[in-house]
Amino acid sequence: MAFSGALTLSDLNDFISPSQACIKPIEVSKTSETQGAIKVDNSGSYYEVSQDGSETKLETATISLNDCLACSGCITSAESVLVTLQSQEELYSILKQNKIAIETNDLSTHRTVVVSISPQTRASFAAKYQQTPLQVARKLTWFFKSLGVHSVFDTSFSRDLALLETGREFVERYRKAIAKGVLKPPNMNGTAASSSEAAAAATSGGMEVDTPKPRKRIIRRGAAATNDEPAVTVETESAMPMLASACPGWICYAEKTHGYMLPYISETKSPQQIMGSMVKNHFGSQLGLNPDQIYHVCVMPCYDKKLEASRSDFYSDLYQTRDVDCVITSTEVEKMFGEQGQTDMSVFGEVDLDLGYNSVIKDPNTGADQVLIGASGNASGGFLEYVMQYAAREIFGIDGVDVDKAVGVEVKTVRNSDFREVTLEVPGSGEVLLKFAAAYGFRNIQNLVRKVKTGKSPYHFVEVMACPSGCINGGGQLKPLGDNFVAVPLKGWIAQVDGQYRNGVLARKPEENPVLEQLYREWLGGVDTLKAREQLRTGYHAVEQNLVNPLAVKW
Amino acid sequence: MPHLEQLAELTGHEDRVWCATWHPTKPILATCSGDKTVRIWQATNAQDPSKWQCTNVLEGGHKRTIRSVAWSPDGRQLATGSFDATTGIWERDEDESGDYECVATLEGHENETKSIAWSKSGALLATCSRDKSVWIWEVEEDNDFECLSVLQEHTQDVKMVAWHPTEELLASASYDDTIKIWKDDDDDWYCSDTLQGHESTVWAIDFAPSGDEIVSASADQTLKIWKRFPPGNPLGIVTPRRGEPVWKCVATVVGQHDRCIYSVSWSKAHGLIASAGADNTIRLFETIEAKPEAVGRLTAEQQRAMNEPGVLVETVAVAEVKEAHGTSDINSVAWYPSETHGDWLASGGDDGSVRIWRLVQ
Repeated sequence: MAFSGALTLSDLNDFISPSQACIKPIEVSKTSETQGAIKVDNSGSYYEVSQDGSETKLETATISLNDCLACSGCITSAESVLVTLQSQEELYSILKQNKIAIETNDLSTHRTVVVSISPQTRASFAAKYQQTPLQVARKLTWFFKSLGVHSVFDTSFSRDLALLETGREFVERYRKAIAKGVLKPPNMNGTAASSSEAAAAATSGGMEVDTPKPRKRIIRRGAAATNDEPAVTVETESAMPMLASACPGWICYAEKTHGYMLPYISETKSPQQIMGSMVKNHFGSQLGLNPDQIYHVCVMPCYDKKLEASRSDFYSDLYQTRDVDCVITSTEVEKMFGEQGQTDMSVFGEVDLDLGYNSVIKDPNTGADQVLIGASGNASGGFLEYVMQYAAREIFGIDGVDVDKAVGVEVKTVRNSDFREVTLEVPGSGEVLLKFAAAYGFRNIQNLVRKVKTGKSPYHFVEVMACPSGCINGGGQLKPLGDNFVAVPLKGWIAQVDGQYRNGVLARKPEENPVLEQLYREWLGGVDTLKAREQLRTGYHAVEQNLVNPLAVKW
Repeated sequence: MPHLEQLAELTGHEDRVWCATWHPTKPILATCSGDKTVRIWQATNAQDPSKWQCTNVLEGGHKRTIRSVAWSPDGRQLATGSFDATTGIWERDEDESGDYECVATLEGHENETKSIAWSKSGALLATCSRDKSVWIWEVEEDNDFECLSVLQEHTQDVKMVAWHPTEELLASASYDDTIKIWKDDDDDWYCSDTLQGHESTVWAIDFAPSGDEIVSASADQTLKIWKRFPPGNPLGIVTPRRGEPVWKCVATVVGQHDRCIYSVSWSKAHGLIASAGADNTIRLFETIEAKPEAVGRLTAEQQRAMNEPGVLVETVAVAEVKEAHGTSDINSVAWYPSETHGDWLASGGDDGSVRIWRLVQ
């Protein structure tokens, strides 16, 4: 399995396989009080031989993912722990446990199993198995239900909430930034401000700005003589640019190596984690179930999502359960097909999608029973597109902005295909109202970090994704058919999957999702309530840099 | 027989000297050291190359050892790569103090930066690190830098990066025993070839004056010469990537150095190769076309059958200086980059000294 590049670059030399070289002491319960001998058999298993000759197999000391993460250590070790903790095997064992519970009529151990599938996963299967995304959704629903899963949902439903909330958070921040003087209000009427003023308006919180006054020939950029951290304290509530939070690879990287970037990151949870809140709290309460009576699996395009699900922020101490219990990737679902002897997806059964947290409607034109529907925008979730459209309307009263079609905004690819700039201007005057960017891949993250750090970022909002080409190219997505990689060039393959992402999916603005209003009213008690904050937002924590494990250092 | 005579010994560094680099056009030498400084040395008298003085000490820019130093091609800036994981960009205040100031710091490497190099045009800067990655930066206006690429294909510590003398082509040498060649394809950089053959860490690489050959120095105590074969080359060497040349080993120098070789320099003025390392000896080699009876020379038939060129180049040892830095390891050798003083060679060692040598024919 492969985490995103941003994660694999972190602390590379910490690589130690758990239980092999990890020196973290852990507690193992003693099996007996008496003295005995230890025996090793051919398979390498250890047995304790007591004085009466009976043999007890000894447990292997294992290091849990939490041990690893608490060690602030290495992602690479965490990797192998994750394999055992979050995998299809875990799902199988829960389903088996359910079966036994029913057979033995002991429902105390029975858990309602919910699977939430990402739209990127749908697109990946659609491209590889030449199906429509709707067919994929219906077939995956059939597949999971045949295994004993109770409900199958779609994370583009919770993404509607994530988009709405991100838009709201952005507008809140923007207004606070203006009120506190972090941002200069744009000149809405009249001529464009002079370029230096525009630059000043666009740069963040009180950092140095190039002014036209004569300056020394030598210009310093983040030079070592200055302090490592910007001197100005940046407050989350007004930090500009606001950076999208949906990519866990980026979040982990920022927490590990760029602590000063954290106030800029949007506090809105990712679609996966909002789905987690909804399934464990709202859905659960509707069924009269406690959060720990539900087992929630998300199917994602990305391994880093496993790390996100394991964050302590998404753990309920009260119920000792996580909002998302297990994340499996598209590739792992494909592996499940094989394990269940169902390799040919074209002969899978199809069943109607569950009502509830699904984005499906009756087709208004053809009257067909179910068609997929979802927010428009890029295949990484469409955060940039939605926030631009929402903010233009909410802050400036400009309606009808459409980033996909470049209506009302200027869309530019800068430097490389993974960096796009989207600018909203006062019509005719050239005065910049909002400047957004999408920065994908590690190199563009580097440039963004550098710009923010040196006070040179002209952006108000940036959609950050660790993978080149974004989530559609996540590390957990299916590989093109055939072992010979050369046969399908990577770029062409990504374009195919990207095309499938929208294939047959009707566009709907998140605020037009009829269930959301009901959710805010019934579940969250309204917009902006304490409960809404609790369920929809989160926080970030810088990881203290440890000394590198001296045993693992290779020169 | 040609030999090397010592012109000067420059002292001042308080720890081992890691790297010595000549200014691209002037008789000025920059050296860096475990003492976290760079020293700039200049000949005091054009007529007497044995008199040198330290004109500048660049300090305070790095928290740990400075492992490598490189002049920009126009000589206006210096880049420093340090074990503190950062790269410093230094500029001389020509108008006032004449001091060098750190004008930019490039961050991003997870740990020790091992080597830095400017492309011939000065538009690109490459850095590499123990974190196994190679980074390519674009030089922008006002001392700003944009990261163009982060290349993570080496499986171990990357020891050195070197640009082709004319093209935008980068080579990197690694603890994974390989050399990789990197190119730009409009949108991103990619590895166009991996040169396998060394049996241990590749510590240093340098291009031939023509750019068609690379010399590499390794901990396996050998030097290797690699030659570029374009598609449709007369020897019929197969080029697996469409339109891409392939690099093949055409010579191996064995039995000369008897410890790790840390540094190698291929003179752009007269074509002699200088190498040095843990055996405390500086050695000079001349390259000539291999004679038909040379060991390892292949017939055209064998070349086709093995898809290898075999030995095409013979390396002739022409001079050596034993204990050039006493009993200390020699970490760096560098020929003067142009004809003006093409006979000068600088060396730096664990004894903390920098020495300037002259090639006497």
